[in-house]
This record gives sequence, structure tokens and C-alpha cells, in this order.
Amino acid sequence: MHETRPAKITSPITTLNGGHLRTAPVALIVGAIGIGLAIMLSLSADEGGLKRFMFTYLTSFCFVLSISVGCLFFVTIMHLTRAGWSVTIRRVAELYAMCALGLGILFIPILATVISGSDMIYSWNQGGWTMHDLTDAEKIEFETVANRPPLEQMKYQFLNQNFFTVRVIAYFLVWGGMAWFFLSNSLKQDKTGDKSLTSRMQAFSAPLMILFAVTVVFSSFDMEMSLSALWFSTMFPVYFFAGAFLSALCTILLTGLWLQKTGRVTDEITIDHYHDLGKLMQGFVIFWGYIAFSQFLLIWYANIPEETFWYNLRINQPGWMTLSILLLVGHLFIPFFLLMGRGLRRNRKLLAFSAVFILAMHWVDHYWLIMPQMNPEANLYTLTGMGIVIDLACMVGVIAVYIAMFCMIAGNRPLVPLKDPRLGEALNHEVH
Amino acid sequence: MAEENTNSNTDENSKLIGLVAQFDDPESLVQACDQARQAGYTKTDAFSPFPVHGIDPALGIKRTILPFIVLGIAVGAVFIGLGMQWYTNGGSLGEFSTDESPVFPGYRFKISGKPYFSLPANIPVTFEVIVLSSAFATFFGMWFLNKLPMLSNPLHRISRFKRATNDKFFLMIEEADEQFDRGSTEAQLNEWGAVSIDECRRDLTDNNLPSWLRLVALMGAILLLLPPVAIFRAMGMTSRAPRLHVVPDMDWQDKSKTQTVSPIMMNDRYLFADERVMRAPVEGSVARGQLDADTELYQGIKSDYVPTVSLTTPQGSVRTSLGTQDEAQAAPAEEDVSMYVTEFPKEITVDEALLERGQVRFNIYCAACHGYAANGDGLVNQRAVALAATGKAQWTSAKSLHDATVSNPEKNPLGRIFETISNGRGTMGPYGAQIPTEDRWAIVAYVKALQETGIKPVVAVSDEESSEDSKASGDSEAATTPEDKTQPKP
Repeated sequence: MHETRPAKITSPITTLNGGHLRTAPVALIVGAIGIGLAIMLSLSADEGGLKRFMFTYLTSFCFVLSISVGCLFFVTIMHLTRAGWSVTIRRVAELYAMCALGLGILFIPILATVISGSDMIYSWNQGGWTMHDLTDAEKIEFETVANRPPLEQMKYQFLNQNFFTVRVIAYFLVWGGMAWFFLSNSLKQDKTGDKSLTSRMQAFSAPLMILFAVTVVFSSFDMEMSLSALWFSTMFPVYFFAGAFLSALCTILLTGLWLQKTGRVTDEITIDHYHDLGKLMQGFVIFWGYIAFSQFLLIWYANIPEETFWYNLRINQPGWMTLSILLLVGHLFIPFFLLMGRGLRRNRKLLAFSAVFILAMHWVDHYWLIMPQMNPEANLYTLTGMGIVIDLACMVGVIAVYIAMFCMIAGNRPLVPLKDPRLGEALNHEVH
Repeated sequence: MAEENTNSNTDENSKLIGLVAQFDDPESLVQACDQARQAGYTKTDAFSPFPVHGIDPALGIKRTILPFIVLGIAVGAVFIGLGMQWYTNGGSLGEFSTDESPVFPGYRFKISGKPYFSLPANIPVTFEVIVLSSAFATFFGMWFLNKLPMLSNPLHRISRFKRATNDKFFLMIEEADEQFDRGSTEAQLNEWGAVSIDECRRDLTDNNLPSWLRLVALMGAILLLLPPVAIFRAMGMTSRAPRLHVVPDMDWQDKSKTQTVSPIMMNDRYLFADERVMRAPVEGSVARGQLDADTELYQGIKSDYVPTVSLTTPQGSVRTSLGTQDEAQAAPAEEDVSMYVTEFPKEITVDEALLERGQVRFNIYCAACHGYAANGDGLVNQRAVALAATGKAQWTSAKSLHDATVSNPEKNPLGRIFETISNGRGTMGPYGAQIPTEDRWAIVAYVKALQETGIKPVVAVSDEESSEDSKASGDSEAATTPEDKTQPKP
């Protein structure tokens, strides 16, 4: 029999309740061990030295960054659409989005290589790349015969040390600022119950969404696409975003399940919320596949060398080809059927499995984007032997640091908005 | 008891379908549904102005099978979409259907050098087919499951029921239900809080369509036929009146046709300065697959030949059949015969099939002038020579290919014959555009075979000279001679 629940928080525990004090140090230690092990192994085991580590670090960094970016999108879009159903899971997303500012610190090692003038990660960051060292005769040849400066020269206007540094700092400031705006207003509302705060966040969500779009587009260009500096794909940012939002949904779902399993916010997040998250997950699994295919199809069909080399790298090496197929099957087909059907989407265990599976595939996705660029000429497959240990150690380390970050930001703050005007709608949310 | 029921439920004019109970609020409706289900009723239905939470479990309604219908259709659509493209593109499928001999040739267009059938190119269309058929499956599956379209529903005969779309809630228990009993069911409904109870009866007196409806339908069908009939009449009959243009945009298209004059823009200026619509290819451009860099195969000239005098390859230029005799004679005589190949190119295999092909092509293109036996006595030649004799035409006799100047491999190597067919010689026109390269080599092989037949060289039939030989072999019968011989070695 259907009864309307009152818009009141009824769970006995709505915070981490001191859990962060236990989890954060452990996670930090695990993180330090994992990252340290990865550095040691890549330096000692003749696996490509520091460059090997930096690439796998960038992979795991982009993986956790995309979760935060996706959560930030989740918060913004929920305000933008005045969504009522998602109020009780919004706080988790707000906290993850806030981690973006902390991830700015984790980006410092990568930024350091750029500032120090090393082309260890980004190949465009070197003297010769811009062809400054061309002879006069060669310059004239470029200008008269090709009737334009070399491509490197043109791309250097965008991809250079100073501009890159400024942009990256701007991204983290924008993301951190947006996350702080939503989180602080939401927390203020927990105390005051002021309804105008919701209107305020709603009003700002539209311009902030534009800002978000711009930063996500260019950050994906900068951090991942510029590894292959001469490549072109305007579809790439959408691809990055599709994976980011998908992994954010999985992370919110897993966090909700974990919180409820440990006795927190037991009443506020219902099976209907998981059901809707499952629907969105399936939708964005399809969206990811759609975008991935759109990017591939255009390049495959046009068959222009300046675009195809990027896929060539990932198809003509048997190892990378395996990953390509794995992504097609594991990132699209399997989750598509795992999340199909109401019964499957209302099964907490199956949902948890799907979320973990998709997150794993999403990590593979970033690995597939980044690692082939480590040594494109030799086209080495890195996921072999000791390489697997390095990658997994680094992944575990970065994720552990990310969890520690989440715990510290969550602290003793409520894990569900306490006085949101749409709380009642969320508590009575029902999916057919 | 049962008899009584039947009597009360069905009379001459109407049949009882069920009882419809009205409730004033959704809560009491859900409650009544719950009780009806617990009482064992299965053929029930609830009506409300808006979706009521919890009504499905209260009525015991099972979840719809529609998603599975859609899934089944969608999976089928994958095969339909892929199969359709495989069929229309003439795709290959392992050993079952190869590129060389496809089971269904279809429309085999090479586009961007892609395979005839390749998954990446076919996924978008397949995707669209899935989406379309899933939408249809959902829409019409819903119709089917709801037994739509239903032209009339006895429920609408209950005046109270109209408020089901406004502010009242109804529960119906059907007569077909095993538990149904006119008296006790009504009592139960009252007990569950029904505000009022109506009988839902199907009218049995008149099941026919209203007579005017047939007329209107017929008229409508006839009216629908009028436009196509008018169009076909206008298109298919002669008329003095201006033609009916159904789709003017298609009849007068804003475009220029090939081989026409360039459109005139403002101030009487042509769009293109050369006053032609068609644009010549960019100088130096070569169409795909027509580079023809292999000179032995495409020109009959040795690949290691280096012209001694630049740009004076006498046979390189295109001749036209309109060239006069004088011009032909003025052509440079000192040609370097050593430049031509003396063997067939490696791409050409001389076998019986090639000779048969050469015979067919020779009879089509060459025999009109040169004659089937290559004696230079083709029908065109005979007629033209006759006319030339009376001064009515100018004509240079077609050569007999058994002439020593033609058959001597020293003076006329294979490559030079090929070159002659391709570009013409003297007053003979070029045939390179009409006959594909392989066929020209086949003709060369056939000509050599003809020359090997031993027919004595004869001069082309003319009034001055005519010999017995030429008369004997002047028929097309002679053309069969090489076939009877064993395979000649060219």
C-alpha cells in the first residue's frame, strides 16, 4: 500500500560518523605504498624508467579525475533540471566533485615535467618540436612550397609550456570553485533550511554548465589528446565526457551501497534511486559506445593519414588490438546486457557488480588512450610481465589516495542534504 | 442457479460484460482492488484519471512482456539490417560468397576503396534499422497487447464512466471471471466501499456498421484515387494543353547538363570563360586506376625504351578518323620500330580463350572494313571503294592484314599493331577509347593468328585488282579457319 513519506531524515547515522578517521590514514598508507612500489619497479625493473611510471600515473590520475568531473556534471545538471529524485544522492556527488581541487595537487608531478621543459610525457614540450632549429632554407621551403608553416609550428601556438600551465591551473580552479559553490550552499542549507539557496544554485547552474563544458573540452585536449600532439579529433572531448559521467554514476552508486551497508543513510537512498542510476548507467554505456564509434567511423571512412595513425597504433599492435576489442565487448556489450531490464536494475548485488565492472573497463579505457603514446614509434605493448604490476600498483595507490581525499572532505559533514526543499520528492521517488 | 444467471446476464438485446463500481478517491480504489484480488477475482480492471501508485500489485497485474517483444524484434533487426546491406552491396561471406564470384552480385560499387561489405560502414544503417523496428515493435506491440484498435467499448455506454477521465475512479469485475456472480459480486463491491455500481452491457441488437459510413468510406476511397489518376492521365496522353507538372522542382532543376553551354551570369558574362559547363580535369591529374604507367601493357612500347627525340613520339598523338589522306601521308615516316614490344606483355596470357575473345572483338570492331578474314574486303570498304570509283566519295582502301607490311614481324611488331588499334594509323581512326586494353591485345593475338592461317596476302578488293584468292576467302567462312587450326603460336 502506498504511503507518502514525510520529508524528514530518519536514518540514525547520516555522516561518516568518525569512519574517515580510520579510513583516511589507511588509504593514505596504501596509496603511498602503491605509488612508491610503482616508482621503484619502473625505475629498477628496466621497464622504461620514470617515463613508464609517469604514463601509468597519468592513466590512473585521469581515471579518478574523470570521476570527479562526472560528479560535478551530475550536481550541475541536477540543479539545472530542477531534479527532485536525486536530492538524497546529490551530496555524495558534491563531495566527489570537491575532490577535483585536491586532484589539482596530484597533477603537480605531471605539470612539473612540463614546466621543467621535459618532453617525457607531452612530446610537444621540446625545442625541436616547434622546428625552431630549421635552417633558413628549410623554413623558406615550408613557407613557399607548403605555403604555410609546419603543423608543429601552428599547434605550438596552443601547446606550449606557459599556456598549458595557465590553462591547467584554470581548469582546477574552475572545477574546485564550482564544486565549492554547490557544496557550501548545500551545507549552508542543511543548517538554515533556506529555500532561496536552491534557487540561487539553480540560477547559477546554467552559466556554470557552460564554463564546465569549456573546461572539460579543453582539459581533455590538453591532458590526454595532446599526448599525440599532431592528431585531430573534435569527438575526443565528448568521448572523455561520456566515460567520465558513466564512471561518476558507478561511483555514486557504489558509494551509496557502501554507506548503506555500513549502516549510514539507510532510509534515504532507496532501491528506486539505484534503479534510476542503473538506467542512467545503461544510457551512458550506450552513449559511450555511440561516441566511440562515431569517432572511429569518421576516421576509418575518411582514411586520411594525419588521423588514422592514432587508430593504427591501437589496431596494428596485437596487444593494443586486444584492448580495443576488450573495450568494445567489456565497455559496451556486456554492461549493455548487464543493465538491461527492470529486474536486473533493481538487484543491488548485480548493480554493484556492474558498477565495479564498468569502472574497471573505464580504467582500461584511459589506459588504452594514454599508454600507446608512451613510445608510438616502437609501439610497445606495456601491459605485460612486470608492467602489469606497475600499472596495478599505481592504480591502487592513486585510487587509495582518492578515497582518502573523499574521506577527508566528507569528514563529519552530512552525507545527505538535510533540509533540501525537494527532499520529500526524493524520499517518495518511485520508479515504475 | 446457473440457468438463472444466464437469463439475467444475457437477454435478447444485450449481454452483461461486468460490473463497474465507482470510487471517489484513489486510496479506496487501491483498497478495493486489493480486496478484489484477495477474493480471488482475476479478470478485473481499474480506471483512473491519472496513474495511481501501487495499483499494479493491488490488482495483481503481471509486468508486461512488451520489453521482451521489443528485444526480440531489435535482435532480429540486427540481422535484417546487416543482411540487407550484405545483399545490396554484393558482399562476400567466406567461401560461401567470394569477391570473385558473389552469390548475390547486388550493387557492387567501390566507394573510397572500402570493401563491399565491412562492419564499420554498415553499423549506422543497422543502428537505424534497430531503432526504427524497436519503435514500431513498441508501438504496435502495445496495440496488440491492448487489443487495439477497438472500435467501440461497452464501457462508454455508462454515463457515469465518463468521469473516469476527470475525477472519479472505477473498478470493473468482468462477467467472464470464474468467481463472478451477479448478486454476490455486487454485494462485495458495496462492502468494499463502492459509491455506485453500474452494469456494463454489450448491445447485441445492432452490430452492423451504420449504412452511411459505408458510403462515406467508398466516396473517400474514390476521392483518394482522383489525384493519381489525374497525374497518370496527364503523363500518359497527348494533349495540346501545357503539360501538367506535378513536381515542378524536378521538371525544372536548377542545374546545367553535361556538354552544354555555360550558364550566363550577370552582364552577359558566362559563368566560365570558355563558355562550357563542364570543367576539364586539373592538368596532370590522373583518374583513379588510370595511371597506366606500364607502357608495355598500355602502349605496346618497351619499358626500357628511351625516346631519342623528345616529344616527337609519332604514334603518341591522338588521330581522328576525319584526318585527310594528305595529312596521313605527311606524318613522319621515319619511325623507330625498335621501340615496340615483340612479345605479349606478361599480364596477357595467350590461350584459346583469348583468341576467341579476340575473334569476337575483331568481328565487331575491325571486320566492317578489314573483312572477317582480314583481307581488307569488309562491307564498308567494298561500298566505299565503289562510291570512290564513281567520284562520289573519297576513300583510302582498308589494308589487308595479310599484306607483307602488316604481317612482317620485323616491320610491324606486336606493340605496333596494338598501337595502331589504340591510336589509329593513316586514315584509320583510334579504337583505344572503345576497346579495353585486354581486348585490344586479344585482337592483336587474333590478327597474328589470322596471318598464320596461310592465306596468301591479297590486295584489298578494288576494280583494278581482284584475284581468285580474294574471292574465295572473301566470305565470312574464312573467319572460321583459325579455329580449326591448332593453337597458333603468335
